[in-house]
Amino acid sequence: MNSVKPLLRSLFIPAMFFLGACGCCEKVVAPPPAAPPPPPAPVIVLPGLGDVFYDFDRSDLREEAVVQLKTNANWIAANAANNVIIEGHCDERGTSEYNLALGERRANSAKDYIVNLGIAPARLKTVSYGEEKPFVIGHTEEAWAQNRRAHFVAE
Amino acid sequence: MMQFFRGVVFSVFALLFCLLFPLHLVAAEGQEYIAIRKEGSGNIALVLDKLDAKGRKETKFAQSLDVTMHDGLDFTRLFSLISPPLNVKEHSDRNSVVINFPALTSVGAEVYVGGVVTMKSDTIILDMKVYEAAGSKLLMSKTYSGTEADLRSMAHAFCADLVQLLTGKRSVFGSKIVFISNKTGFKEIYECEFDGYGVRQLTNSKSISMNPVLSPDGRYLAYIDFSSGRPALSIRNLTGGRTAVVGKSAVSIDPGWRNSNEVAATLSFDGNQEIYLVNTDGTISRKVTNSKSINISPTFSPDGSKMAFVSSRNGLPQLFIQDLASGQVNRLTFSGRYNTQPSWSPVSDKIVYTTWEKGGEINIFTINADGSGLTQLTQNCGENKSPSWSPDGEMIVFTSNRQGKEKLYVMSAKGGDGRILLQVDGEQTQPSWSLFR
Repeated sequence: MNSVKPLLRSLFIPAMFFLGACGCCEKVVAPPPAAPPPPPAPVIVLPGLGDVFYDFDRSDLREEAVVQLKTNANWIAANAANNVIIEGHCDERGTSEYNLALGERRANSAKDYIVNLGIAPARLKTVSYGEEKPFVIGHTEEAWAQNRRAHFVAE
Repeated sequence: MMQFFRGVVFSVFALLFCLLFPLHLVAAEGQEYIAIRKEGSGNIALVLDKLDAKGRKETKFAQSLDVTMHDGLDFTRLFSLISPPLNVKEHSDRNSVVINFPALTSVGAEVYVGGVVTMKSDTIILDMKVYEAAGSKLLMSKTYSGTEADLRSMAHAFCADLVQLLTGKRSVFGSKIVFISNKTGFKEIYECEFDGYGVRQLTNSKSISMNPVLSPDGRYLAYIDFSSGRPALSIRNLTGGRTAVVGKSAVSIDPGWRNSNEVAATLSFDGNQEIYLVNTDGTISRKVTNSKSINISPTFSPDGSKMAFVSSRNGLPQLFIQDLASGQVNRLTFSGRYNTQPSWSPVSDKIVYTTWEKGGEINIFTINADGSGLTQLTQNCGENKSPSWSPDGEMIVFTSNRQGKEKLYVMSAKGGDGRILLQVDGEQTQPSWSLFR
């Protein structure tokens, strides 16, 4: 798990610069640090892009995920300058190759839902990190639940 | 009652006959010397005698060769290494030595190995002799030579010849293992020799690398690389240095070689996670699977005609076998709810894989390609993952967190205790044993 910290840090530091540089701009969305639904950061005026969470070994959408994806679709529609990357993630359990596949299915299920709401597919890229980049380090159901997610990143 | 009794007696005799007969058959057929043992019985009892050497340099090299040979033979798990009896060599005069075969048989030795190290200018010459202890028959006499830098390969060349002589099969000497280590803080690919010697870092992408696997001829390394921001199948030419990256979008997962010209991997560019055969230049040869579910982790029968893989087409991940010519797919595993990571033996119809079990353990199993012979190889030792066969099919390398961090272990293909392969910082995962040696 040592490999994860520099990766997270490398994501976090540019994110902080980004926040600092355009603190006045409405488009900015911080990566949600905690449990669903993510608490909105004070800089955000428009409802931002939030992550959605999945059940164990599933890629279908939960009820609250559907609500979040509608919010995300509104944000994407209102921010035509930004394309969005949807990252699929899994918890550490099971085997890494299967989790890489499962992560992609999670990203795709989120993307498909947003496309069905009318967003052009070309604006949405998907990728899977499987179990390689957990958000929370830990071996509890609490940590695992946080790590089974589709993470939205504005480009 | 009498009839029942007669029936029982007959059955017992029939059973005994069946048990004994194959042994006689083997013994009668044996033209060359091959140690005849019942399947699963003990190892070959071997005395590896201290090498003879005169002179300071020769003695030093002999000691080094002794250690390498001893460790090499021990690694194969084919031998019970017996210490040489004190009176194993009797000096008839100043220059000739007589081997005391009765002393060898009295300690239970089947085979005796001895040798002499001499030097001709800077060349080290190793003369090895192998005897059958019971018949005092010379089975092999062979000379190996090289410089000081070649000592390890000279010792292993002899070990390989000895295994070939006594078992009729090629061994693991000269093979390599590639694996992932996060020692630098990033998941990079490393290689080492079959016994963990000579660890060398192969990638320095400062990203995430996964699932390295060497082509059967050793010329290519296929792996998954996240450098571009997505997991992409990369095929590195180890002789020329060029790396082909499969240019298609979406993700690539878990490559497995069919032969030295074709590697299979999951590519999802058409929206589904399907397995494709890919040429070494990164161009796609053909699509193999056709199902909207997860299809991953291709591994091929030794003749390349069949592919075992993981699919979630019935819900939970299970192993399937597809006949490449007909396209016919059969489900292989019915026991266990989460079966992944198949690897097909390079010499037989056995497939090794992992099951994630209810209690949280991940264990390694083997099963025959026809679904028979399910055998559990690990238990009560945490998560045991990514099994890969040795080129002779006798051993399995895998990763386990049985002592905390994930490390590489090697065990017999029949199971039993795993021995740790190497002591390196960080965690080591996803080992893959080469077919070449």
